[in-house]
Amino acid sequence: MNTSIPPDNAPRKLHPLVDMHVDRSAFEDLERRTERNGPWDDWALYQLALEAEEANLVTDFHALRCLSLLPHFEPMPHQIDTARRVLHEMRGRAILADEVGLGKTIEAGLILKEYMIRGLVTKVLVLVPASLVLQWVRELNGKFDIPAVAQRKSYSWDNDIVVASMDTAKRDPHRQTLLDGEYDLIIVDEAHKLKNKRTGNYQFINELRKKYCLLLTATPVQNDLNELYNLITLLKPGQLGGEGDFAANFVAERRVPKNESKLQETLGQVMIRNRRSSGGVEFTKRLVTNVPLQLSAEEMALYEGVTDYVRKHAASENGDMASMLSLVTLQREVCSSRDAVFLTLINLFKKTTEDSPLRARIWELVELIKRIKANTKAEKTMELVRSLDDKAIIFTEYRATQEYLLKFFQEHNLAAVPYRGGMNRGKKDWMMELFRKRAQVMVATEAGGEGINLQFCHHVINFDLPWNPMRVEQRIGRVHRLGQTEDVQIFNLCTLGTIEEHIVHLLHEKINMFELVIGELDEIIQQFEKEDTLERRLAQLVLETADGEELRQKIDGLGDTLLQTKKRMQLENAT
Amino acid sequence: MNSKQVHRFVVSYLESKECHFIEKSPVGVTVKLSPDADRALSNRPYYWSFVDRTGSPPETMTYRWSFENPAMSDRMNASNVSYVLTESGRIIQEDVYFGSRRLHQLFGVVQQSGRCVTLFEEPPRGRLDPFASQPYTAWLGVNFKVGYECDMKREELYLWGVSLATGIIEERFMDKLKDRRLTPRLPANVHLLKNGLSLRKGMAQLEAALERRLRTADFSWAVEAEARRQDELERIRQYYDPMLEHMNHPDQMEQKEAVTARFKQREAEIDWQYKPRVSVSVLNCGIFHLPGLD
Repeated sequence: MNTSIPPDNAPRKLHPLVDMHVDRSAFEDLERRTERNGPWDDWALYQLALEAEEANLVTDFHALRCLSLLPHFEPMPHQIDTARRVLHEMRGRAILADEVGLGKTIEAGLILKEYMIRGLVTKVLVLVPASLVLQWVRELNGKFDIPAVAQRKSYSWDNDIVVASMDTAKRDPHRQTLLDGEYDLIIVDEAHKLKNKRTGNYQFINELRKKYCLLLTATPVQNDLNELYNLITLLKPGQLGGEGDFAANFVAERRVPKNESKLQETLGQVMIRNRRSSGGVEFTKRLVTNVPLQLSAEEMALYEGVTDYVRKHAASENGDMASMLSLVTLQREVCSSRDAVFLTLINLFKKTTEDSPLRARIWELVELIKRIKANTKAEKTMELVRSLDDKAIIFTEYRATQEYLLKFFQEHNLAAVPYRGGMNRGKKDWMMELFRKRAQVMVATEAGGEGINLQFCHHVINFDLPWNPMRVEQRIGRVHRLGQTEDVQIFNLCTLGTIEEHIVHLLHEKINMFELVIGELDEIIQQFEKEDTLERRLAQLVLETADGEELRQKIDGLGDTLLQTKKRMQLENAT
Repeated sequence: MNSKQVHRFVVSYLESKECHFIEKSPVGVTVKLSPDADRALSNRPYYWSFVDRTGSPPETMTYRWSFENPAMSDRMNASNVSYVLTESGRIIQEDVYFGSRRLHQLFGVVQQSGRCVTLFEEPPRGRLDPFASQPYTAWLGVNFKVGYECDMKREELYLWGVSLATGIIEERFMDKLKDRRLTPRLPANVHLLKNGLSLRKGMAQLEAALERRLRTADFSWAVEAEARRQDELERIRQYYDPMLEHMNHPDQMEQKEAVTARFKQREAEIDWQYKPRVSVSVLNCGIFHLPGLD
């Protein structure tokens, strides 16, 4: 038989549709070494190399192999199901539109991992808001063993898997670098920012060369059905027909679709939206307890003193909102600890001129502080923690309170560790580790930001409450999240006869925010805060209102507005 | 690979590289790497270039590798690496499991350093006639990996060998080698018969045989992928064609060009994603001198 190796590596036809490409570089290596009489590799290594290939071999088209490579991690059934559908039905171009809290990142990670294992994806670009870059890098590395890097310098783009902020990526010189490249997979988080096709973001993503593409968003439609059309056209032009076709076939009003079942069917080919209500995902319960407490006479005297100071002083600020807000902070601090308010007072003192009449006023307050010998709240917390006899995370808004609590617990032989935003990553990890293994209590000032996951803890104590409900939610979310196996107990410490009582009343009794379904709150707040933040509105009410009863009524009014927003949202989500 | 297989794999590598085991347990090892293994695994190119330039004695790293599957609770968000300081220096602790970075790296290392061999079978010990010489013939053993690719992928291995004496192809060549004792040095009392085929001819025959085999494979996957490709192409045509038709005004020339470019790009992306293809690659290969003529 006369066979020879084709001189060039021209592909050969195996089938009318299929070419065969041969890479025989290892054989060429063998020829070279034969000519030079070596060097030869080790037989054991030769066999191990084959064993490695056998272990990594992708033996069929369909199985989800990534699961066997992630022994330490068990995705939820709906996440696995989503990954499968994207891989096999949507062919790697999809919108992942799960409601908040169901793990879109995990779904994207599974899909990415599977493609990587199969050798179908090597070059990956993940575009996310700047604040999420590190979180993504950590998730991909920690959960998925995927060597993703955060983009920091121009040369970072040379890495195979890069996570970058959309805002950086779309600007030159980065923009051009990326447009010159080719990506096996592009993932865009918070993809609702691509809803307008005239924006730079949209055009940038549209121009990037990509094989597979995942768009992640919890809110595929915010205001207008056309947003959805744009998003899908980015992924698969023509899926919903031409622009005119879409309007004619599917849009009745801006937010109201027609031919809904047809639309759903067409959408179902490119978009997956898992809902909390559709079951399958079980969150454990949140059990909320308010812990009312009466301040000691000395503490109450300080509170009244500060309140008085705030009112008088606010009047003189002539509507300078920023400094008025900081005045309200004083009031809130008294409810937390004397240490917190002391620090702020000292700073105020330093800012006043020497002959200012305010100095005497501030000094009077400091005198009041000196009279306080014990912190009622801290004692109550101590009692609570002891009775729980289990791990608890205590959140406070103030650094000074945090320091005080740590000292207080230490004096009472209660092992406690701190956690705050300013710590570097390594220290944060260390603190989490200590909390998990050694300490009964963690005292934290920060809940947001990237990755603290404390599913091993089931008790949250709000030593004081932020006035921004999203931040309260973030606190609870550290503990009450996917993977939490037990019901979570939440305790709100509430000093009677202070503004704190009003806030706890608003958040807990009025809008029942602690027990809202995960993810519901942010939608409501987003709608509600279109004009001004809740926090500022509250502060304004406090400053404008003289007596407690009136304040209570006004805060109730605010609560009613929130409730209406909630009802409207629920109605819309139901349709 | 289960944890036992991973364990065995790692230990085989370390042994072949003559690393020093400090501790072996049923679930892990503590090992001081040999210089060779350290170069391959410790990611310290600067350190090694320093050692090479200055000739100073190298200090290799010590690892404690645990082969038990790590629970997520033990890892939380952190990496699976930690450090311990001992009297004899710093030890790096890692979980090594199927899917871990370390094992992935090892796979890459063995694939690079177990690529080409020339080996001889050792003649059976004992009944050696010092004056009789045994005839050996050469085989070319090649391990092929075949990938069937479209928007999905599947792979097969073909561990074939061809006798360079006769041109006979053995499809279970690696199995044939399994129980033989092989050595890199030519044993005593052995003579090598002349090859009938050159290496290159042998390779050509293996490839031709493989090609014939692959032609008989089931190509329905490719037919389906092609249908998907056509489907996708049709969809974007329906989107772009009407749009382009309406851009005939001279002022729209620039816009039309941009849209056409976008259209072409989409087409290219669809081909990239769906076009069925088969890729054959040689994982590793070697010359095996075995007794006998077949």
